[in-house]
Amino acid sequence: MKVVGQGLPRVEILEKVTGESVFGADVRLAAPILIGKILGSPHAHARIKSIDARKAERLPGVKAVVTAQDLPPVKYGRFVRDEEYFAHKKVRLVGDKIAAVAAIDEETAEEAIKLIKVEYEVLPHFTDGVEAMREGAALIHEEYDQYQALSMVEGRKGNICYHKQTVQGDTNRGFQEAERIFEHSFYAPMVHQTYIEPHAALARVDASGKATVWVPTQAQFFIRASIAEIFQLPLIKVRVIPTEIGGGFGGKMLPTIEPAAVALARKSGMAVQIVMSRAEDFQVANPRTPCHLRYKTGVKLDGTIVAREVELVFGTGAYCGNGLVICQRAEMLASGPYRIPNVKIDLFCAYTNHANCGPYRAPSGPQISFASESQIDIIARELNLDPVEMRLKNAIEEGDTTPACGGPLKSVHAKETLLKAAEAAGWKERRREKNRGRGIALGYWLVGGMASSAGVKLNEDGTATVMTGVIDLSGTVTSLGQIVAEVLGVELDDVHVRTADSDFAPHSTISAGSQALRSMGSATKWAAEEVKKQIMEVAADKLEAEVSDLVVEGKRVYVKGSPERGLSLGQVGQLSLTHKRGPIVSIQSVSIFPNQPAISAHVTDVEVNPETGAVKVLRYVAAQDVGTAINPLSVMGQVQGAVIQGLGQALTEECIFQNGRMLNPGFLDYKIFSSLDAPRVEVHLVEHAAEDGPFGAKGIGEPSIIPVPAAVANAVYDAVGVRISDLPLTAEKILMAIQEKNKSG
Amino acid sequence: MARRTKRIRVTVNGERYEKEVSPSKSLLDFLRMDLNLTGTKEGCGEGECGACSIIMNGKLVDSCLILTVEADGQKIQTIEGISRHDRLHPLQKAFAEKGAAQCGYCTPGMIMAAKYLLDHNPSPTAEQVLKAIAGNLCRCTGYGSIVDAVLSAAKER
Repeated sequence: MKVVGQGLPRVEILEKVTGESVFGADVRLAAPILIGKILGSPHAHARIKSIDARKAERLPGVKAVVTAQDLPPVKYGRFVRDEEYFAHKKVRLVGDKIAAVAAIDEETAEEAIKLIKVEYEVLPHFTDGVEAMREGAALIHEEYDQYQALSMVEGRKGNICYHKQTVQGDTNRGFQEAERIFEHSFYAPMVHQTYIEPHAALARVDASGKATVWVPTQAQFFIRASIAEIFQLPLIKVRVIPTEIGGGFGGKMLPTIEPAAVALARKSGMAVQIVMSRAEDFQVANPRTPCHLRYKTGVKLDGTIVAREVELVFGTGAYCGNGLVICQRAEMLASGPYRIPNVKIDLFCAYTNHANCGPYRAPSGPQISFASESQIDIIARELNLDPVEMRLKNAIEEGDTTPACGGPLKSVHAKETLLKAAEAAGWKERRREKNRGRGIALGYWLVGGMASSAGVKLNEDGTATVMTGVIDLSGTVTSLGQIVAEVLGVELDDVHVRTADSDFAPHSTISAGSQALRSMGSATKWAAEEVKKQIMEVAADKLEAEVSDLVVEGKRVYVKGSPERGLSLGQVGQLSLTHKRGPIVSIQSVSIFPNQPAISAHVTDVEVNPETGAVKVLRYVAAQDVGTAINPLSVMGQVQGAVIQGLGQALTEECIFQNGRMLNPGFLDYKIFSSLDAPRVEVHLVEHAAEDGPFGAKGIGEPSIIPVPAAVANAVYDAVGVRISDLPLTAEKILMAIQEKNKSG
Repeated sequence: MARRTKRIRVTVNGERYEKEVSPSKSLLDFLRMDLNLTGTKEGCGEGECGACSIIMNGKLVDSCLILTVEADGQKIQTIEGISRHDRLHPLQKAFAEKGAAQCGYCTPGMIMAAKYLLDHNPSPTAEQVLKAIAGNLCRCTGYGSIVDAVLSAAKER
């Protein structure tokens, strides 16, 4: 392969390093743009008694004020129709949207927001899933029974919006066979994706009533569908133009401010831009679901796992939103990348009075791995087994199944990935030093695929253009270009590929779930292969040769064995315009893909300061099973970035609430890793072309964040002998645990 | 509504501007809204993320924390002003080649912080680079590739 497998710079990189890229808040129009602001609830749970916006409407400079009255009375939601865009009867989280204003400048908009008077009757609130699930707890959605929901939404009761039990084998029998049984509880708090670009949207509604929205999103077709639903418009009356996106990590998929911008644009007749403040983004965007985890695991004395019961309680937020996506994922991942005959998984998704939680890089993965892999570590130590050996004994192999994984798994490289990490880290030849420890953990992720289509056309000069609506988060668009270049025998520079908007792009999958490249790459590859066929067809006529005798290579098509009997792709492009078949172009579609495991194995060395409890990460080794790396530069970047993001989750990050209001909605108090905190990440790829996926690629965006908290927790235990079961592993918690241990020890 | 404004003169990327501005307008908003120089980004508006980093009179500053009126009479350099005649600055080239920009949102500020470092210390160590960019948050790269890019650009210059 010539282009696939090269670590080429991203196709849009020059715009990025020169500051030319247009992100959400950078969009400018010829017409003036109003500034929009949203009035959010100050209470976590309250009944609305009255809303009076008359004073705001009269403020000079205000061009529009919108409330629920300005929208069709639509309840929406991907799984449960439980959300109305503007609250009018009840608010269910701090920041629940009540009204929005558009004004000539930011100061006027802010002044107008203050002039809107809302009377509330405050109700009891819950920010914890377990509390919300208690018998007799006040209901966050009293009329839940009347909501429409997809048939898969089972187990609704009280504040529980979803409960599902998944069984494989018989855990009662399994625990009877077990020689030791271990039970542990863990907790992972809410954490935020913390993309550096806050949510932003610009909307305009033209004379025909068509809404155009410029927005940094991971899912332009989701945003289009949501706006169409909220405003009861046909899809062709909504155009979403995705801007460059300043990080998403799962947090930019569902609509937040976009419908407000549309409502204000429609009412004012002008363009309206809304940009969230950092504090708003922390408070109301779609963070990672907080989760209580209980693991009960039965083992033989040789370390063989015979049974595992898992109970997970997710506090999903005020509305169901994408909450069930997290549950569906958790169902697949909860028992870990292990061959376990008897498994029972109970999943609870509870309404809570905080932001709708949504996907965040490997939804449910790090929480599950933290609990599951901490417990495997505990068991290995109790049984006096090497943690690597214990995992090797139980790890999945080709053809195994895990609950809800959708059938026998193919392209499984769990053991090789584990051994690669252990070997690279020098697992066996370590030297013991005081207050220093080493931890290992596995990450389990399944890469699926979703309905996608993409087009490729050959231009008259022999260059090619890719037609895609996929959003570029991790370098996907560059990889699509490499795939086309490889198939057509040209260089990446001969291919143009950028994301087209929802009016012009064929339906493209969301950039989430690490499946964008597998899905879009497959559709793109098929389209390129079809274009290649068409090239050969046109050339065969001109060269008076058989199609089967032609080779497409080095920007040319020629007769096998006689390279001089050929045409440049430019000549073919020109010829096609007068050839009977016409311009060379193809759009291809793909649909569902079977799940494939993308395993991560991490080893980290840490030092714990016994006086302060502070953890310093000394070394980090990450092995990742990637199938084929289409672009190793992008792949390495994904692994490194995911590990550092995961270290924040392991050690410093947590959304802290009081009365439903986040107390630390800024970078000073919500501490993500800076350059001074981040260790170098040593990345080792396990490359075996996977069963399907373009050129055997799997997916890389998410898996490498999964094992980080567990690897760190296991290393901390190894260093100072304390087991922290709730994230993050702050210095304070570790110090208190050390003191506790010293007292009792 | 009539609001008080103040006339300021400022030189940005070698161009002189004279504008009426509101006394409460941040330099970041002035650059982005009044001059349409949208390469400089807002990540937090509180001086914590560094996405709005620019160089003013030879100093690296967060433009979100500076009022436009404070920039009166000053010389400012932004990301748009560091490549000349279509020739990329060595930092821009190195960031592109080393995969030091993923989403690219922190990149302009990051490059300005790195430029400030190289202007004062042409051959820094990795530790010095880590310190120099400590005020610039990046959520995508994990910083390793950024350090590589800055060190490589230092060699290029």
